[in-house]
Amino acid sequence: MIIKERLKTGIRKNLNQQYLKRLLGIIAMKPLLHAYGSTFSSISDKYLNIFSIESIRDAYCSDRTVGFGSLFIPYEFLYSLRITPFLPEVMAGFTAGLGLAEQTLAKASSNWYSQDLCTFHRSASGAVEMDLFPKPSFIFSTNLACDAAQKSFYIYARKYGIEENFHLIDVPYEKDEASVSYLAGQFREIAEKISSKMGTGLDYARFREVIQLSNRFRELAIEVNQVRRKLVDYPPYYNGLNFILPFHGLTGTENDVILYQQMLLELKNFLKEQENKGDAPARKKLLWLHLKPYYRNDIFDTLAEGNCSVVFEEINHVYWPEMDPSSPFESFARKMLSNPLAGSINHRLDAIRTMARDYSIDGAILFSHWGCRHSNGGARIIKDSLKEMGIPVLVLDGDCVDAGNSSGGQIKTRLQGFMEILNFRK
Amino acid sequence: MDTSIIREHKSRAIEDSIKEDTGSLKKHFIRSLSCSSKKPKVGWLCTYTPEELINAAGFIPVRIFGNKKLDRSVSYFPTNFCPYLKSAWESMLENSPELEGIIFTSSCDGMRRLYDTAEKYITHTPSFMLDVPRISERRQVDFFTLNIKKMRAFLEKLAARKISESQLRSSVLLINKKRFLLSRLGSLLYQQPGSPGRIDIIPYYMILQVAMTSDPEVFTEELEAYLKIFESTGTSGEPGAPCGTNKRPPVMIIGNFINENRLWNLLSDLDLHLAAEDLCVSNRYFEKEVPEDASADILKSISARYLTKPACMRMADLGSKLNEIREKAISQKVKGLIFISLKFCDNMLYSFPLVKKELTDLKIPVLYLEIEYNNFPEGQLKTRLQAFLEML
Ligand code: SF4
Ligand code: SF4
Repeated sequence: MIIKERLKTGIRKNLNQQYLKRLLGIIAMKPLLHAYGSTFSSISDKYLNIFSIESIRDAYCSDRTVGFGSLFIPYEFLYSLRITPFLPEVMAGFTAGLGLAEQTLAKASSNWYSQDLCTFHRSASGAVEMDLFPKPSFIFSTNLACDAAQKSFYIYARKYGIEENFHLIDVPYEKDEASVSYLAGQFREIAEKISSKMGTGLDYARFREVIQLSNRFRELAIEVNQVRRKLVDYPPYYNGLNFILPFHGLTGTENDVILYQQMLLELKNFLKEQENKGDAPARKKLLWLHLKPYYRNDIFDTLAEGNCSVVFEEINHVYWPEMDPSSPFESFARKMLSNPLAGSINHRLDAIRTMARDYSIDGAILFSHWGCRHSNGGARIIKDSLKEMGIPVLVLDGDCVDAGNSSGGQIKTRLQGFMEILNFRK
Repeated sequence: MDTSIIREHKSRAIEDSIKEDTGSLKKHFIRSLSCSSKKPKVGWLCTYTPEELINAAGFIPVRIFGNKKLDRSVSYFPTNFCPYLKSAWESMLENSPELEGIIFTSSCDGMRRLYDTAEKYITHTPSFMLDVPRISERRQVDFFTLNIKKMRAFLEKLAARKISESQLRSSVLLINKKRFLLSRLGSLLYQQPGSPGRIDIIPYYMILQVAMTSDPEVFTEELEAYLKIFESTGTSGEPGAPCGTNKRPPVMIIGNFINENRLWNLLSDLDLHLAAEDLCVSNRYFEKEVPEDASADILKSISARYLTKPACMRMADLGSKLNEIREKAISQKVKGLIFISLKFCDNMLYSFPLVKKELTDLKIPVLYLEIEYNNFPEGQLKTRLQAFLEML
């Protein structure tokens, strides 16, 4: 805890790329990283942190080719092209966790980013303007799930003077075969362009290898989710909303496989202990929709106090089919197109309904992150559709990154009201 | 059929203003306004919707302007959601039974959710989602052609008949003609206030509203006649400062769905010299025609036109968009830019830092305005606009 706090204070005081680079260079040295790792309460938590730090370090400190990517890009694509990914939106979550968002957001505002925009992008834009991120050679963005990334990432490309290396992956609306071939064609074209620029040629063996690792991760994630169906309580260190980076940005790496293997082992043991104790705790089971605030907050403590437990999160749903290592581009296309956030809201609803059934949920919380039009714009439909299944939904207004744009008091009151309703039922 | 949307436009947005502001305009467009045509109507929202197909299927393409005050729609969407779309939803809740169908486009996150909302809550009106790519290269033109084919099938089902090749081709000619006439109208606007033959801002935007909500055949005839009279008289007779000593600095406006009569009134009162525009209620709607090559695949030509027309900020290649803006600003010798956005439009809001930088490099001052829809803070904006224009 002390180490973590010291790191945070150090970064806050020396907010510049050189310092971050140096710091990452030091803490990512094996012995130190492992010493830091010992401050975590489980091996999987340690892996999560170490692998995240290593992946960020790689982007900052090595002489690798760095590519910025928005969240729902299949990162297998970048690993296959030997591009080290860097995810500005995820980093924006870290700016909140490290207490830096106030500064990055202020910078974005002074550079004319409207306060009405999503703070994941605003904070990342501020960080880009402050030159806190490593310089990318390529930028990949997509219109999945929202309009924000394709715009903000283009601005980054201009800022770094690499517009010709900005690639928008345009995900079509329909999920049919015409869309698969349209999307696969884009991947192929981009891959050919990049590999010829890098002078490497397309290395299909590498694609195969990365896809196999990704498939292995996928199997493990499915197994983890199956164990989670029976879990009501969780180890104190576990919060499913912390897995955005491994679930997206690390797919196709060996580290991801190691992390999920470990997580599976721990959750299985935890389940066994829970079963040995006899009856599962009688808690109300919640499904969490969208993301959570990444700064310090007491949402999950409030839920625990009210006898409620988040048993699953929308972001951990494995939505894509197994990939075919022999046709990488079609596989990436299918992965993107099967994302429930692509196209019509009915896909998201279908996925939510499946999760609601799989995890026998009593209620759902949709965290309505300020500025996220695609998610909040569907809140009413989600609420009404789950109501049809007898499941109440709380639409909780707040901001995932900007603590100043969320009212802790109001959130608590609304959570308490919702929990009262849940606990009153049945 | 959506006669009440039309009625509403007529009663609130068009007719009143036409009466108030221009007096003579109404008589020139009486047939378009009175909706004398008996054709059924299909609603559309975004300038990426190929009107020529709707027309070829025998429907009047009626753009849903959503001139309604928000009431019921606030319970469907969050506060920070595109105010135009909320207003459009208000209109749909009331008037959709009068439309044969509605064509949505995948233009932005908000529009996707509006379509979902329509699908769930107004099931009696068939709707169609036209997927519009964000890139305008060959692969995208081909893909968009496929999507336009699906839209054609939707319209054919609505009309219970096939759209023939010749109907489609003559519809392309008609809509091209409308575009050509509207471009001529545009060139009458972009002159110094008070110049002979200049059309004022108010009637200009009124006519555009009529253009997007009436039978293209009728409207085109009326606009052609109007332009003939207008151009032959050589004087506008429209409000504006007298030509001569008091020259106004040429100004460009960039915006999204800006459809605000009080804004046009204000700009007209201020004698603004609007020298160039980039709006989705104006030039982005009519600039660039569909190539009329008889040997080419007509749907593909339509697809190419829509993907390469003056782009909306939703498109990926903001670099080309910025070049387009830069070139317009230079060629029209623009001295100031008004960037006006409806609130909560991500595509516009993200474009602003880039546009601002581009124009600052050209030493052109930029005024940034963010507005609601149908809820125009007149006093406040007047002060800001005045101060800006005085500075130029
Ligand atoms: S929170 Fe919403 S708007 Fe922001 S990046 Fe995520 S999907 Fe986009
Ligand atoms: S104004 Fe912006 S948010 Fe609204 S419909 Fe147009 S593009 Fe979408």
